[in-house]
Parts: sequence; structure tokens; C-alpha cells
Amino acid sequence: MIRQLARVLGAPYAGPLRRHLAGVLAYAVLQGLVFVLLVPVLRPLLRGDTDGAQPWLGVLAVVVLATAVAYWVQAQLGYRLGMALSRALHHRIGDHLAALPLGWFTPARVGRVARMSSTGVVDVMGVPAHLLQPVVTAYVSPAVVVLAMLFVDWRLAVAALITVPLIVLVFRWSARLLAATDVVVDTAGVEASNRIVEFAQQQAVLRAYGRTGEGFAQLDAALTEVDRANRRQLLKGGPGLVASALMVQLSVTVVIVAGVAVAVGTTVDAASLVALLVLTVRFAEPLVAAADLGAALRMARNSLDRMDELLRTPVLPEPSAASSFSSDGSIELDGVTFGYDDRRVLDGLSLTVPAHSMTALVGPSGSGKTTVVRLVARFFDTLEGTVRVGGRDVRDLTTEQLMAQISVVFQDVYLFDASITDNIRAGRAEATDDEVLEAARLARVDEIATRLPDGYDTMVGEGGARLSGGERQRISIARAILKNAPIVLLDEATAALDPDNEAAIGSALAALTADRTLLVIAHRLQTVRSADQIVVLDNGRIAETGTHDQLLAAGGRYAAFWSERTRASGWRLVSGAV
Amino acid sequence: MESGLGGLLRPVRGALVMAGALQVVSAVAGLVPFLAVAEIGRRLLAGETSELWTVAWWAVGGLLVRLVTMMASTGITHFADARLQDHVRREIARHLGTVPLGWFDARSSGEVKRAAQDDVGALHHLVGHAITDLVAAVVTPVAALVYLFTLDWRLSLLVLGVLPLFLSAYAVMMRGYPEKMAAHTAALGRINSAVVEFVQGIAVVKTFGQARRAHRRFLRATDDFADFFGSWAGSMIRVEAVASALISPAVMVLVVLGGGTWFVAQGWLAPVDVLPFVLLGVGLTGPVLSLGYGANSLRQARDAANRIGTVLAVPPLPITRDQEPQGNHVRFEGVAFSYDGRTEVLSGIDCVLEPGTVTALVGASGSGKSTLAGLVPRFFDATAGSVTIGGADVRSIDPDDLYRRVGFVFQDVRLLRATIRENIALGRPEATDGDVIAVARAAQIHDRITELPDGYDTVVGEGAHLSGGESQRVSIARALLADTPILVLDEATAFADPESEAAIQDALSTLVAGRTLLVIAHRLHTIAGADQILVLDQGRIVERGTHDDLLAAGGRYAAMVATTMEAAR
Repeated sequence: MIRQLARVLGAPYAGPLRRHLAGVLAYAVLQGLVFVLLVPVLRPLLRGDTDGAQPWLGVLAVVVLATAVAYWVQAQLGYRLGMALSRALHHRIGDHLAALPLGWFTPARVGRVARMSSTGVVDVMGVPAHLLQPVVTAYVSPAVVVLAMLFVDWRLAVAALITVPLIVLVFRWSARLLAATDVVVDTAGVEASNRIVEFAQQQAVLRAYGRTGEGFAQLDAALTEVDRANRRQLLKGGPGLVASALMVQLSVTVVIVAGVAVAVGTTVDAASLVALLVLTVRFAEPLVAAADLGAALRMARNSLDRMDELLRTPVLPEPSAASSFSSDGSIELDGVTFGYDDRRVLDGLSLTVPAHSMTALVGPSGSGKTTVVRLVARFFDTLEGTVRVGGRDVRDLTTEQLMAQISVVFQDVYLFDASITDNIRAGRAEATDDEVLEAARLARVDEIATRLPDGYDTMVGEGGARLSGGERQRISIARAILKNAPIVLLDEATAALDPDNEAAIGSALAALTADRTLLVIAHRLQTVRSADQIVVLDNGRIAETGTHDQLLAAGGRYAAFWSERTRASGWRLVSGAV
Repeated sequence: MESGLGGLLRPVRGALVMAGALQVVSAVAGLVPFLAVAEIGRRLLAGETSELWTVAWWAVGGLLVRLVTMMASTGITHFADARLQDHVRREIARHLGTVPLGWFDARSSGEVKRAAQDDVGALHHLVGHAITDLVAAVVTPVAALVYLFTLDWRLSLLVLGVLPLFLSAYAVMMRGYPEKMAAHTAALGRINSAVVEFVQGIAVVKTFGQARRAHRRFLRATDDFADFFGSWAGSMIRVEAVASALISPAVMVLVVLGGGTWFVAQGWLAPVDVLPFVLLGVGLTGPVLSLGYGANSLRQARDAANRIGTVLAVPPLPITRDQEPQGNHVRFEGVAFSYDGRTEVLSGIDCVLEPGTVTALVGASGSGKSTLAGLVPRFFDATAGSVTIGGADVRSIDPDDLYRRVGFVFQDVRLLRATIRENIALGRPEATDGDVIAVARAAQIHDRITELPDGYDTVVGEGAHLSGGESQRVSIARALLADTPILVLDEATAFADPESEAAIQDALSTLVAGRTLLVIAHRLHTIAGADQILVLDQGRIVERGTHDDLLAAGGRYAAMVATTMEAAR
């Protein structure tokens, strides 16, 4: 765990980490010595010889003072390390996130990363701040005590020593037992919670179909399973729980019995023996503390694991310095193969989008349309083949150079929780107010702004929650217009919009794409028809290429797609005159 | 019902009291080895070795008593915990089945999730572990102290002398704690939103060359946190180190031995009586930390109980079963609706849905179309006026009867994580395979289902991921099987998935045939043949009539049609 901590923190923190560890070790050893000193103080004292006890009491006072100082020093070091850790972890996570391929960022990961950067870091900060010391002490102090006992009475030392591996084994055994049943119980608990959430989210459907209350069998089954898992855990894990809680008392009892055996069977110095017995009681105590910290330690370890995993995720290689680059405004995919995990999505695909022309991608879902667009924006790197933007391999461009070439308008629009103006200005930070307003006008955002109480200064809410989908789309188009990049990547919206938004977005897109190189995942028939080149994808390969008229004449897949879609667009829910 | 934690814990209160009592015995039994060592010391120093084994057996006996009581109390608390979890989760589910459908949205599903998962977890921690730990943390030192005081109250006081020092240091530390803690939570929250923005918006941020700025914002939030935490912890760490050092075992050893030696030298105490103090006194301060943990989980459980309480306190939809519809005639009379009691989303709605006719709702987004449609299946109840089916107010119809009459198909369909068969047969679990297959065929989804690994037994979301259009068709099959005479439909459903648009449309056409249909319309041409079109504006019906009537009237509907034509060009 220490090694992992060192790795996640990075080289500059190896020194402070080592110093803190040394401080903790010194404290643990000194505390062990304090316990050992019980024997020479108690021996005379129990005989009533207070004068004999006093010199050792003096020694004890000195060692206790040293222990207190060591505690102070390690606490300070741990605190400083914890603070450094907070900064270092956040910066490393932040830097790494900025360099990860865009494709890495899936919605599921967002929540995980957010948790990792807030409570996860706090968990890990706790390791030097309050976990390391008790854990190290738990093992080192008893070791010192046992070592010292060997010199005083080897028989009791052996009795104590016998219990050590036993304690460790029982702790391990019960931890494993609990961990195993924990997984089962957790899984059952998560399943039950998910079912309740599903039950809530699907309430409309469930009620409409008469399945409320006890009628939702899946929820009932999940709840019953939790109950079963809980009971099973008690039966299987309970003994481990009890055993580990009793281990310390057991070991003390063993030593008591051994001590009695020694006292009865042989002749010993009573005071020494008693002093030793007292020592044994102390010896086991720190172990209890360690057992209590197991859960916190496990939590910190899990957080650390997740950070380690994140930091080990490879980032996209980038040239260290920007070389001069003049773009010709074209897009080219050359023999591109790509897949997610073991699923192949694109298979030796070649495609050229000449400058200032429009190419429409069509094809069934899963045919690779989105992947093509993502590869152009370098969400991922290809497995084989080359993607060129403006005539240059995207891997030879810096992120800034590549992104200066392209505007991206996707369906899942993300707006920052800021004013409308700020969101548009994100397209080009140095744009003048007039330019921002002009872009807003072209994307028909001005209509939205006049409707809202604070006009352009209206805050849009987290992710743009205060606006409708169509309105968000228009703001994102304004942003892209302001950016004024030579290449536009567009994923046309599929969702139904009201006629006003539909018309507004149509004119906004016309303003954005005029005289640009355009690669569009097309859903609207008029978009497809107006393309200079239509590329029909199927299973990661190009099935057909050509203009609308050429492809219709060819009578292939595109012609079938076209007739199907035309039929759909003329659909009437209820027949009747138009 | 009793509110808060006490109310929630009531079903397990008896078990908790019993477990607590057992824990008291267990904690006292945990002291036996210490007493045994003291006793052995007393006898050895007095030179009696005869009774030593008896004392050793005490220790063994103490161990056994503790074993038994611990097992019993662990068992009791865990069974109580299992029962409580089950009880609370079922209570939440039962209650959710009664609240108005309109209550369920993104926010409330977050609340439900937290209540069902985190908050039940907090209760679990309290019942399963914290309560017994807390009892042990109190009983052990108290029992030890009582024993020590009977031996010598003066030395006991001396040993306890460090506690006031510790407590005052602790008080210094805790000064302003709630405010600081709130600031701490707020700083963490800022990191959270900075990282969410950074990560969620990363595509935007990168494509617009703003990566560095957002990155800076994230780092600023984290540095603010580090600064805040640093100065807070920094101000506490010295006091904390002193306080912890004060009650550390090392200092306690010194105090006990120093005090003991002094008392023996003064002749106030027999040498052998120092032993119990060394054995028990040193560990007296240990449980202070456990007390802290225990109090903390008690606080967390209280908050959790309050959150669960808020979910359980959502007023249920009133249900009476005193009217029976005669026929399937739907009538809105003077209907008004408001979400917040101030602004009216609907007002003065009067209209009739004749059996077997199609009524289309048209209007800009926010005009109240979906709200109006949602009143029929009781997603909400009207705040004024009434909605009746066959002459019976929907609020007075037995819900089972209501939902046998009203079905609906919406745009955002999410299937249950169950088999396809269960999903289709949701409304009629007794349906035969033949029935299920027949409706699946009619909904144009049968062929796709047979391609799935387990066919109709494939579990949605586990064995197979269906596209939006495919899920849509499963939900249409479900509605077909339920076969309700009245249907509420969002027309955008037909366009939810361009890949399977035509198939969804065919399925919908089959579904709506012959039913009383209330449709929320987005694309005007699809509903041009409707029997009546209601044009909504700001919650009122501003025009009504057939397509031809309305075009001829040249009002709002005619203008909307014109805009659509323009957009299509």
C-alpha cells in the first residue's frame, strides 16, 4: 500500500513519505519501550521497594517524553504530507484528465471521477493523517514487547509469541470471510436499491399495467435476496467476526494460564512474573486498535486503487512542440481500422472529404458513423491507418492545432453553468461583444435571449438544464459559428422538435456550414439530398458512395434506405386529408 | 407515525435493547482477564500458589461468557439489521406506489436512490455495529472506574486527572466545528462541480481550445480546498497532537506508575493494589475515540432517517373507489392545474373525447400539452374542475379499473430489467406465449427478439441492449396486449429513432386503430386527419376543430403549419 501511495503521489513526494514513515516507526518503537519499562518499575514497586523503582521511573519519564515528542513530530509530518497529498493528487488527476483521449469520458466515468477527486482524495489523505500511525504501532509495539520478554522470561514470551501468528491468522481468515460475504451482501443491497429506483422511475408504466406494491416481482425477489444474503453472512461471517473480536482476550488468557503454570510448577520471582503478566496485557492492546481501522484502511485502499488505475490509463501522444502547419481544409481517412475493446467498429475504411464540400454519412446504427466523426476529432487514435485533417496526420498536430481546425456540433450539447453570452464566447475567448452578438443572431439565439428575464445574461443552469433541447442546440451552434473553424463536424439531431425550433436550427446550421468543409451524420432527408457526397456505411465498411442521384439510380442499399425514409416521412398517425 | 430515527427504529427496538444488555455483560466479561492478573499478582506476592488455577479458570470463564454474549448480541443486531433494512425498503416501495406519478422526476429519483441505498446503509451501520460498539465504549471504562474507585478513590482521581486537560483541548478543537465542517463540505462540493464540469464538458472544452482554462478552474477549486483544509487542520493539529499525547498509553503508564509509586511510598496504598491501576487505568482513555466514532454514526443515521422520512412524507394520491365508469367517454370540465399552487399550467379546459375518435393536442413547448394528457392516467390530479371517464371522476375510480381503461405510450421508454416476455406481458401476466408473440409481431419486433441470444427470455439490459426504436416497439407490444380502450400517446414516439422510424410507425398505426386516442402532436402533418385538434397556448385551448376548419380559420394553427412548410424547404 505504501508503495502504491508512493507511485500515485509521484517521485517528488518519496522523501516526505519516507520521513513520515520513519517518524511513525520511531514512535511505535518508543511506545513499545514504555511498555517494556513496566517490568523494571513494577518489580521493585510490587515488593514495596519504592526507592528501587524511582531510578527506573526516571528512565520511564525520559522515554515517555521522547515518545510524546515522536508523536508530535510524526503528527506534524503526517499532517504536512496529507496536505501535500491533497494538492499533488488533485493536480496529477487534473493533468491526467486533461490529456486523456476524449473517448475515455463516458457518463459513467464522470460520476466516478467526481467522487474520486472529492471524497476519494480525502480518504487517501487520511492515511498519513490518522491511519498509518495506529496500524504501524499495532504491529511494531507488540514486536518490541515480545523481544524484550524473551530476555526476561522466555517461557511467557513463547506463550505470547504463539498467539501472534494465531491472531494474525484469525484476523486474515475473518477478514477474508467477511470480504467474501460482504461482496454478496453488497451486491444484493445494490441490486435491491437499483430495483427500488427502477420501481420509482417506472412507476407510470407499472401503475398503468396494474403492478404496484407487491406486484413488482423483481423488487420483491431482490428484497428477499438481500434478506437471505444478510442471514447467510451472519452464519458464515459471524464466527469470524466474533473470533477476531475475542482473539486479544484469548491471547491474554493463554498467557495467564501459562503464567499460572509457570508459577505453580517452578519457582520464580513472584514480582517479575506479575510484572510480565501486566506487560502481556498491554502487549495485545494495540492490535485491537488495528482491527478497528480495517474498514477505513480498506476504503482508502479502494480510492487509491481507482486513482492508480486512472493515472495508468494511457494518454494520447502529442508532439511536444507545434510545428508550422497550414491547413488545406480537407479530411481524409486512410485505411482506418478501429474497435472498442474486442468489438471491431471500422474495418479498413478510406474516405476523403475535399475542402469546402459536404459529405453525409448514412447507415444503420452500429455501422460506425459516430466513430468516423470521433476519430476525426481525435476522441481516440486509430488501431491501424491514418486520419488526416487539413492534410496532416492528426497525431502530428497538437490538440490546439487540431481543434483550431474543427467545430463540433453534437447531439448531446453541453453548456456550462454560466450566462448565455459566456457559453457562446467559449467558442472564441478573445471575440468582441459584437462578434458574439452576431453569432447569436445567426444562430437565432437572439430570439431565446429576448424571451428570457435576464436576456443574454441569463444563467443556463448546470449542463444547460434551464433551456429546452432545441435552445441548447442553437447556443451550441452559435458557439461553433463564433469559432469560425474551416471544418465542421455535425451530428444531426434525431429528436422531434417543435416547428419553431426546427426552423431556427435549420437556418442556424445554414449559417454555420456555409463555405465550410462539412462532415455530417445525417438524419434529415433534405440534408442527405443536398450533400456533395453520400457515404453509406455498413458494418464498418463503405457500402456505397456517390451523389443522391447516382445512388438512387444504382438501386442499391441507399435506394432502399431512401424509399423507406420517404415512406416514413409521409406517415400519418391517422389517415385523412391533408 | 413517530418521526425521525426513533420511529424508523421502532420495529427493532426490543432487539436493540436486548443486544445492548448482552453487550454490557460482554464488556464486563472483557475485564475479567485484567482482574485475574491482578488477583494472581495478589496471591503470588502473598506467597499463596494454591488457588492460582482457580483464578486462571476465572479468566477462561470470562472468555467463554464473552464468547457467548458476543455471539448472541452479534446475532441479534444482525438479524434486527436485516429485518430493518427489509422493512424500510419495503416501506419506501409501498409508499412510492401511492404518491402521484407527477412526483417522479430526475430529482426525486435521486432522492429515492439515496434513501434506498446510502441512507439504509447508514441505518445498517448504526444497528449492525455502532450501537453495540457505543455500549462497549461506555460500559468498559465505567465498570473499570467503579472497581478502581472502590480500591482507592484518590489514585483514581489522579489517573483521571488527564481527562479534563484532554477535554478542554478537545473543546478548543471543536470550537466553530459546525461552521468549519459546513465550509469543508462546501469546498468539497466545489471540487465536485468543478470536476463534473471539467469532465462532462471536456469535449466542448477541448474542441474550443479551452482545456487549459477549465483545467485551471478545477485546479483552483482543489487548491482552495487544500488551503482551507490546511489552515483549519493546521490550527487544530498542534492542539490535537497535545490532546492525543495526553491520553496516549505512554503518558497513562507514567501517570499510573508515578502516582502509584508515590502513594506506596507515602503508605497510602498497598504495593499490590497498584496492579489494578496499571492494568485498567492505562486503558481507561482508549474508548474515547470509539465514542467519537459512535456519536458520528449516530448523527449520520439521524440525518439518514430524516431523509427517508421526507420520502415517506410525500402525500399519497388520494384513492377512493366509489364510482364506476359507464362507458369510455372522456370529459374535461373546467380543468385547471398548477404544479406549485401559484402559476397555472392549465386553466379553463373543457373538452370531450368521444369513444373511437382521435384528439390531437397542438402547441409550442410549454403550452401544457403533456400536462393535459397526463391528467387522464392520473399522473397528476386537476387542481380545479374534473376529468371524468364514462361519467366517473378519475379520482373516484378504482386504480385497477382506471388502468384497465387508460394506456399510454411515450417517447422516452425505458424497459424493466426483466425478460422481454415479462416486459410485454406486464399488464397481463397470465397471457399465453401465443398472445405475446402475436402482439410482438404486430409491433414489428418479433423478428428482432428471436435474433436475441435467449429470444423472449433475454433479460433487457443484461442479455441484450435494445436500441431506442426497439424498446419503443416492445412498449407498443405491451400496450397492444393490455388492450385499453383509451390511449394517450406522444406522437414524437414515431420519430424517436431514425433507424427504425418506419417500423415504429407501422406498429403505432396498428396500436391506435379503433381506440379513443389522445395524442400529443409535434409534427403537424401526422395528425392532419384527427377528428379534433386542440390548439393550446399558455394552458388554454385557443382553437379547436378539424385540420380543414383550422386552416380555413387562418389562426394560430394555420401559422404553425406555414412555419413547418418553411422549415421543410
